[in-house]
Amino acid sequence: MDDLMFGLQVTLYGMGLVFALLTLLWALLALVARLEARPQRTSAGAPVAAPAPQALAATGVRVQGPGADQLAPELLAAIAVAVLAHAADHRPQVAAEVRSPAPDSLLAASRWVSAGRARQTARATSRRRG
Amino acid sequence: MSADFLARLAQGVLNLSWQSLVMIAVAGLLLYLAIVRDYEPLLLLPIGAGALLANLPLSPLLGEQGMLTVIYRAGIENELFPLLIFIGIGALTDFGPLLENPRMVLLGAAGQFGIFATLLLALALGFTRNEAASIGIIGAIDGPTSIYVSGILAPQLLGPITVAAYSYMALVPVIMPPVIRLLTSQRERRIRMPYSQRTISKRTRVIFPIAATIIVGILVPFATPLVGSLMLGNLMRESGAVERLTHASANELANIVTLFLGLAVGSTMVGTEFLRLSTLLILLLGILAFAIDTAAGLLFGKLLSALSGGRINPIIGAAGISAFPMAARVVQRIAAEEDFENFILFHAMGANAAGQVASVVAGGVLLALMGAG
Repeated sequence: MDDLMFGLQVTLYGMGLVFALLTLLWALLALVARLEARPQRTSAGAPVAAPAPQALAATGVRVQGPGADQLAPELLAAIAVAVLAHAADHRPQVAAEVRSPAPDSLLAASRWVSAGRARQTARATSRRRG
Repeated sequence: MSADFLARLAQGVLNLSWQSLVMIAVAGLLLYLAIVRDYEPLLLLPIGAGALLANLPLSPLLGEQGMLTVIYRAGIENELFPLLIFIGIGALTDFGPLLENPRMVLLGAAGQFGIFATLLLALALGFTRNEAASIGIIGAIDGPTSIYVSGILAPQLLGPITVAAYSYMALVPVIMPPVIRLLTSQRERRIRMPYSQRTISKRTRVIFPIAATIIVGILVPFATPLVGSLMLGNLMRESGAVERLTHASANELANIVTLFLGLAVGSTMVGTEFLRLSTLLILLLGILAFAIDTAAGLLFGKLLSALSGGRINPIIGAAGISAFPMAARVVQRIAAEEDFENFILFHAMGANAAGQVASVVAGGVLLALMGAG
């Protein structure tokens, strides 16, 4: 019984403290937000200029599949940004033969170039061993 | 050839106990979950390997100078490894969604109720106070916090608690959805939340880890190691001043320590110590802790929803736990199942990031209340 009373006390104080501390953190974050020099707010309903189709084409990202041509320009732009960000993030981390080149680089013309080079290198290595 | 000589050669077979065999099977299960099912492989594979190596008969790895013993003493006994992991987590975590919507911190607080509810249940089942608190911390749904707290309060339970914490974390997509569906109506799950996009300046991003460390550190000194490590990693990330250190913390450091941590925890799973009724109870209480956390977060989400006039989707409350970002993804998936065009991921990420901070705070609070140190 003592243990259960102890547990209830710990629960009461524990949850109270966790809430109090995080409320304090909330207050601090709200204060920092207020002190921000120029908080820029854009409400969800505010009109956002749709990107021009040429701008999307320039990214080199093509959205294909059924219904792709019916997607809103804003959504296409969001997809393009996500694809480019992902490619930029992962490009340095993957192996050369599957590395996705930057859209505006020379290598972007053909991904099979890098795959071919990898094969050539592998063949040359095996010849040397043989 | 003397009998003595033969006995020396066969001592491995002669010292094989049924507990060792069961634990080798358990290690095999952990390796299976990691390799085949892809459940938290970064942790479960080293833990499984550690358990396997520790349960082989007369394993020299567990001797005074054995590798597993040395690793355990170097990083678990003195709480070093969980803190180093936290630096890596901080370097990987983006608190942006939380900074954009600071009220989400309250959902993180509610998501910690499972810790205390499980503590009560463990006390009712006859565990000692320190053991009950260590079992309760599984409800933080945060591996390093669980290891840190249980390592201080009840190191003898470290093995089962860590296994429960990490393996259930992989089961978040299985545990959360039924609880969410049980406690919310379809109408509630379909609530759409407006986005208020606010640019978070670099200054705010830098101030946050420093301020959080100072506030929590002054008010709950026991949480200083946890919150300090987490926020150090985040400060390095957000400041942008030490990219090499940030990269090393998020990759090399985190990877090396994860390997050592897993091996050391696995080495605590020696059959004679592990195969007890208490282990089974801990595993059961752990899964209950997860469910209670989800339920508490949801109920608090419902409260906020009612107070806001129905503008908050209560299911984001379920994401107020530390399993980042898996909990937020599960919440988004459930919302999308009801309404394909309902995007609450960003709000859920805010609650999820809050859960990460809250679990660290709750761990420190628990240590303070238990009079550890």
